[in-house]
Amino acid sequence: MSNDIWVIFEKNPAGDGPAAITRELLGKGRALADAAGGELAVLALGAGISGAAAVCGAYGADTVYVVDDPQLASYTTDGFVGAAAVVIEQHQPQLVLAGPSFQMRDFAAALAVDLRSGVVSDANNITIEGGTISAVRGSHGGNVINTVTFTDARPAVITVRKQSFAEAARSEGRSAEIVAVPMPAVTIRTTVRSVAPRQGSVNLADAAIIVSGGRGLGSSENYYKLVPALAEAMGAAYGASRAVVDAGWVPYDHQVGQTGKTVTPKLYVAAGISGAIQHLAGMRGSRTIVAINKDPDAAIFRVATYGLVGDVNELLPLLTQELKNRAG
Amino acid sequence: MHIVVCMKQVPQQNSVKINTDMSIDASGIDQIMSLFDEYAVEEGIVWHEKLGGKVTILSIGAPAWAEQMRRALAMGATDALLLSDPAFATLDSVGAARVAAAAIQKLDAVELVICGRNSTDDETGTFGPALARALGWAQLTYVGKIAAIDGGTIVAERHLEETVETVETKLPAVLTVIKGINEPRYPSLLRIRKVAKAEIPTMSAADLGAVVSPTALAGRVPPPPRPQGEMIAGADNAAKVKALVQKLADAQVI
Repeated sequence: MSNDIWVIFEKNPAGDGPAAITRELLGKGRALADAAGGELAVLALGAGISGAAAVCGAYGADTVYVVDDPQLASYTTDGFVGAAAVVIEQHQPQLVLAGPSFQMRDFAAALAVDLRSGVVSDANNITIEGGTISAVRGSHGGNVINTVTFTDARPAVITVRKQSFAEAARSEGRSAEIVAVPMPAVTIRTTVRSVAPRQGSVNLADAAIIVSGGRGLGSSENYYKLVPALAEAMGAAYGASRAVVDAGWVPYDHQVGQTGKTVTPKLYVAAGISGAIQHLAGMRGSRTIVAINKDPDAAIFRVATYGLVGDVNELLPLLTQELKNRAG
Repeated sequence: MHIVVCMKQVPQQNSVKINTDMSIDASGIDQIMSLFDEYAVEEGIVWHEKLGGKVTILSIGAPAWAEQMRRALAMGATDALLLSDPAFATLDSVGAARVAAAAIQKLDAVELVICGRNSTDDETGTFGPALARALGWAQLTYVGKIAAIDGGTIVAERHLEETVETVETKLPAVLTVIKGINEPRYPSLLRIRKVAKAEIPTMSAADLGAVVSPTALAGRVPPPPRPQGEMIAGADNAAKVKALVQKLADAQVI
């Protein structure tokens, strides 16, 4: 085993470089590799991704291994994990880092088993001390913070929660050694027949600001009159509490909480949300929280950075207007 | 077809405490079937009703977990198997997947395993994919709809962040399902009474072979408290809103 750190590549929306999460992993991976006296490598799997993957050199990667093959045009566990396991076994890094998307969660746990190792998901910190790899992750809706160590299992496989680490800075002129790896022989049992955009999908995970509405709004009509307008004024995505999703006001895709999405934006506005444990589980990691509720004893105020007591149906339009005035 | 559904019992509320030995103290909190597993149980029963055969509820846990396994039997599952051993208490998700795989290999011709996308207590989402790989089977995660199971293949929709993939794979396979794939049924009183005293077969570590977890818990603490917040005061709503926006701007949040 080497002291090397590997990052699984994901491309940005434009397709010409690494995604924000990959840049985060490169930032943390660089620091870990330097401390451990190892190299930082990227493993890119896909079809037509060589150019975008090569850009990782400008973000700190020493080596970029690329398996660029039509068989990897669509994600399949067999194709991606099968190929990754072969390349990783050859080079024996001590740690493999991946993002938290559904595909990467599918990938990381399967990869760990193929490598006869272990996996930690949703880490927000990683340390390597005296050869021991540790990861910190929340569980139980954020009520428990666990430190998990990899005993003898290597390479450790860890998926990282978004916005846990600073993104690597781009350094023009810096480049990585690019190693094209032929697609290993793997049996792919799964066929992706079609990929369609999700109706009404909401990418809350990537939003820097989220405005969520709850039962305090009184009705679905009020929700749609007030919450999207405020979200637009703030450049935010909009979410909802489980109560209003269950009541049928808002589709499930918008639900923030334990049985919905877990979000960590830099600003979270909870409007008319009382702050049930199940909701707090999904948003308590937000950097700044604004709570607006008519009940001064509402649990949401206990996690709020700023609290406003009052009728959300009166306060939200005023807030929207004030933001528009300032944007002038 | 023999379908296995993996089910976990979890605290209804996550307001748990931490014991000095780092185990979770959920005393005083009701135990329920993990939310996503309830969808897995329902989906297993739905396809069992179409295809016949058996649907076995598989769980790793203390003998007390039999209560939620009986609930799944009352919903319509035909069989149950509890993997119970003090040695299983500290299993990590890969260790648990290997234990479950060893048990599934002892069962009769299992072709499909359905799990929830993640448990609502540990929230790792790693058990299903790890189980598939430990069995050497195909896997489809985050399934929002099973379109067909026919002639040794399964066609399903994977509901990802922004896309829906329609995928086909070969059986045997492991699926993880999301909320909304179905509407879980309430067990009838008649069935609840019928299964109230059902014996739940168990297997222990002695039956399943040595299992080692690749990771171990080194620390467990409650989250640091959030800094004391600030209630925004003002003469009226307009003044309060102005004050709030000013604070957000000063803190460079907007």
